[in-house]
Amino acid sequence: MNKDLKSFLEGLDSLAHDCESRKGQACSLEELDELRIEFLGRKGKLAQSMGQLGRLDNTDKPAAGKKANEVKQLITELLDSWQVEINAAKTDMALSTFDPSMPGRKPWVGTLHPVTLVMDEICDVLTGLGFEYASGPEVENDWHNFEALNMPPEHPARDMQDTLYVSDKIVLRTHTSGMQIRSMLKQEPPVAVICPGKVYRRDSDLTHTPMFHQIEGLLVDRNVSMADLRGTLTAFVRQIFGAKTEVRFRPSFFPFTEPSAEVDISCVLCGGKGEVAGSTCRVCKGTGWVEILGCGMVDPNVFTAVGYDPEVYSGFAFGLGVERVAMLKYGIGDLRMFFENDVRFLEQFS
Amino acid sequence: MLVSLNWLREFVPYEGDIQVLGDKLTMLGLELEGIDDPFENIKDLVIGHVVECDPHPEADKLSVCTVDVGDEMVSIVCGAPNIAKGQKVPVAKVGTIMPDGMKIKKAKLRGVQSLGMICSERELGLSEDHEGIWVLDDSFQPGAKLVDVLNLERVVFDFDITPNRADCLSILGFARETALAFDLPLTMPELNLVESGGNAADDIRIVIDDADLCPLYNARIIRDVETRKVPDWMRFKLLAQGQRSISNIVDCTNYLMFELGQPLHSFDLDLIEGATIRVAPATDGMKFTTLDDIERTLTANDLLIWDGKKPVALAGVMGGANSEMHSGSRNVLLESAVFRPGSVRKTARRLSLPSDASYRFERGVDQVMSRFCMDRAAQLMAETSGGTVVSGVASAEPLPWKNRTHGYRHDRCMRLLGLDLEPDFAKKVFTLEGCGVDDTDPTNWLVSSPSHRLDLEREVDLYEEVGRVYGLDRIPTVLPRVAKSLDGAVAAETEYGFLKRIKTWGAGAGLNEAINYSFVGDEDLDRLNLPAEGRVFIANPLSEEQNVMRTDIAPGLLKTLKHNLAQGNNHVRVFEVAKKFVTDSESDTATKEQNCLGILLYGPRHDSDWPWGSEDVDYLDVKGLVEHLLSDTLKLSEPEFVLTRDHAYLEPCVAVKIDGDVVGIVGKVKADIANFYHAKKDAWLVDMDLAIVRDMLAAHTIKFEELPKFPPSRRDVTVIGPVTVQAQDILRAIEGTGGKILESVELVAEFVPEGQDEERNLSFRLTYRSPTKTLKDTQVDKEHKKVLAALEKALPVRF
Repeated sequence: MNKDLKSFLEGLDSLAHDCESRKGQACSLEELDELRIEFLGRKGKLAQSMGQLGRLDNTDKPAAGKKANEVKQLITELLDSWQVEINAAKTDMALSTFDPSMPGRKPWVGTLHPVTLVMDEICDVLTGLGFEYASGPEVENDWHNFEALNMPPEHPARDMQDTLYVSDKIVLRTHTSGMQIRSMLKQEPPVAVICPGKVYRRDSDLTHTPMFHQIEGLLVDRNVSMADLRGTLTAFVRQIFGAKTEVRFRPSFFPFTEPSAEVDISCVLCGGKGEVAGSTCRVCKGTGWVEILGCGMVDPNVFTAVGYDPEVYSGFAFGLGVERVAMLKYGIGDLRMFFENDVRFLEQFS
Repeated sequence: MLVSLNWLREFVPYEGDIQVLGDKLTMLGLELEGIDDPFENIKDLVIGHVVECDPHPEADKLSVCTVDVGDEMVSIVCGAPNIAKGQKVPVAKVGTIMPDGMKIKKAKLRGVQSLGMICSERELGLSEDHEGIWVLDDSFQPGAKLVDVLNLERVVFDFDITPNRADCLSILGFARETALAFDLPLTMPELNLVESGGNAADDIRIVIDDADLCPLYNARIIRDVETRKVPDWMRFKLLAQGQRSISNIVDCTNYLMFELGQPLHSFDLDLIEGATIRVAPATDGMKFTTLDDIERTLTANDLLIWDGKKPVALAGVMGGANSEMHSGSRNVLLESAVFRPGSVRKTARRLSLPSDASYRFERGVDQVMSRFCMDRAAQLMAETSGGTVVSGVASAEPLPWKNRTHGYRHDRCMRLLGLDLEPDFAKKVFTLEGCGVDDTDPTNWLVSSPSHRLDLEREVDLYEEVGRVYGLDRIPTVLPRVAKSLDGAVAAETEYGFLKRIKTWGAGAGLNEAINYSFVGDEDLDRLNLPAEGRVFIANPLSEEQNVMRTDIAPGLLKTLKHNLAQGNNHVRVFEVAKKFVTDSESDTATKEQNCLGILLYGPRHDSDWPWGSEDVDYLDVKGLVEHLLSDTLKLSEPEFVLTRDHAYLEPCVAVKIDGDVVGIVGKVKADIANFYHAKKDAWLVDMDLAIVRDMLAAHTIKFEELPKFPPSRRDVTVIGPVTVQAQDILRAIEGTGGKILESVELVAEFVPEGQDEERNLSFRLTYRSPTKTLKDTQVDKEHKKVLAALEKALPVRF
């Protein structure tokens, strides 16, 4: 082999070795760029070696050129692979300093009161069945709250509710049933209304607060029957407490309905068995049933009071206590918590 | 209403399970509340036979007895003076727990072992008698249970009786329902009244002034009664019903009231003057001393029983002290009457004198049964007192009972109940209930209700009977088709819907919904310097803290704050949607009720210091909420915030105006008031009038605006001016001076140079845009210059 060619080829080999030996020297992309310029730049080491090419015999030039290309490719690949490594290290570094466990930047979290939630849920079922909202005064006169509801003065049924009076003739409504009267006076049948709202009783102990919430329902039309009442109430009870809930209608008495019934549902805690883990169920006291609402067919005297003909129309009405449902649904034991508004309580419902 | 099982069985032969009975009656509308054993606490007592009784060697007053308690002989030391050999006595053996909770243990009394206790009646909680140990009938077998040999009632039902079922305020009433439920025969007690000469009607004349107030008054006379020990069977039956024995005469009246439901009263005949009983009202302001020795002031609405000279009883409520039976009484005048329910109720309530008697009169007693009850009571009195019943009855019945007859249309009943039953079923129900049925007209029967079912007043009441006996729970379930008018289908948003929208916004804005009582204390309103006029007071409040309807949303929210601070919750962000109440003479309820939204913010702006920092909420937080609600959420016009001086409890207080109308206020609770609620930091409040907001919303429609087609051009300017010039003034001035191409202005920064308290720098960004072309810089610059020049003229500011 020609001596010049040999030294040319050796020069290229040592260039490649030189580059290989620099592995690890470039830790950043900037340093790598410097290496690239050093070896592959316009005035770099490879370019300098190529400057010797002109001195070779023409017959040697193809071999020399081929070798030069090989070395260039080798160096390029080396540098490229180092670039990948540097990039990977960089990414790795960036990720290892990213702390996903830092607490998030949460917006304020608001909640609706459990009474509102339960009220909405029940009303949604009933409006879905075609009932419309009605609202009216919380301070009510005696006629709407009692008399028109078939509770004349001195009627013993007035004892069923301890009343808070503003004056002889003005009371804090003891039930939402007065809205039956207001709704019927406002329109001719058919009437299908629900009235959710606050009611007041002169009663305060573990299981009574002087203010609570009721939902009143009223349907008046021709040929409304107790079967319709049972259907409507069963539908919403199952919506709230689950499809397997048993519903029981027990004869009772309200002056403004006849016949009247109280509705019990199978106990939400023990499922109607009356006991939990061998001891008496604390929710239903072992009976397997919990009372949830009162209802009945609108009393003819009520129709007469609002000018409807009881021979033509019939209807049903029901009223339920919202807190009672909320207590059963969420397992709240103490009624008073509803009105203390401890934010730790309020924040649990949404 | 307590119902003793054995007493019930005297009327109806029910031998089944007691729970089944309770359940069945519950489903007939007589709700079982519980089943109790009234003598549970003496169930372990046994009969003992005192075989030996010797004086205690070490103590004069003690005896040492050897007692046969059936399975063994035990030695018991007894301190009672009446203990004697041969007696049968109640013994609490070692291990027995006494009614007072004490457990009987082995003991040594002055060196002698005692294995049990011989008891007095008082120790067993049966009476006040503690003269000595209770000596029992000699026929009792040693070792037998006391409760068994005395035949004590072990099962007492407690039923909740609805006001319509006056007939079920007696054992008889329950017997009727039991007979109905199980198809059993009903047996009335037999009357064995022995009358002995004379004629009561000659001795006493009954005069009733107003038949409506007293349709019936019967009286019997029982002479030569003695105060005697009440027989055990009677006193234990009463005790099981929760009634302690009082005297042999009074016990007989109570017995009949429980058994048959008729309240009776016994006067000492010798204290009745003028041989007359008159039923007539009192007069206003009259004084009368009832047998509890309390002087009552009466009104003309109170009905009295008078003798020839004086009032002797409050009719149906309570007897008088001047005529009551006492231990020396010899002759009894026994009253059995019917009074108008409303009248008795009014008196009992006004005087706060509810009694077992008034409770029954208020709900109505069986006029036809009244005579039988009196006769049976007279018989029992004679038997238990050794007295004799004078022949005849002193009686007045100005308004005899008339059977009430109602039409009954079976098809209509079936339609109302949603049932399809044979008419025979209804007929059977009515007949079993004691009604007369005339079905001559098959489509409209005539049904007459018995005198004990005062609740069967109308046709629909008969429907209820068919329904309850068949079982309301067996009626099918159908989802009704709710018919609607077209008008109703296009109704505006309801109040409930609107309020729900506000609540949903509140929760979405990061607030917790609170619900406070609608009433507060007078003092709560005074504390906030709220006007005294217009308050709606509660006449009979539960407490002074709840004696007035709130006229403002703040007191409730501040109570919520106080409660939370007491619980250590220092971040409070709550809202409440509720009504305020003020008097209104125009309203049919004398009250105006106004929906409002209250918001209270207190404490750090964020739940955690990191990464937000620990700054407390300030004015901009509450203001931002109001803007977010009114303009961003409800899309009403941009509100204006106007500083308002001299507000009752807020300082600063800012009125929120939309198009000139005040829709609410925002402000900080005055420090002295906040301090009362233990708030150490600023408490910020919002009070929005939701009635006005709702009206505005109803009038408001959303219209789409075309998106701009050409780019905006923006210019910033920093305005240096006195701190007394409000940002809103500058914004308004810029808007007012801007030409057609000024699209909007917004505040982007506030800077107060250090040490500077009279001036501040406010930076605004002005956006210029033309709807028809892309603006050139020169054009914008020219317009911007004009705006600034005009601003400088309008306000004392520089740039």
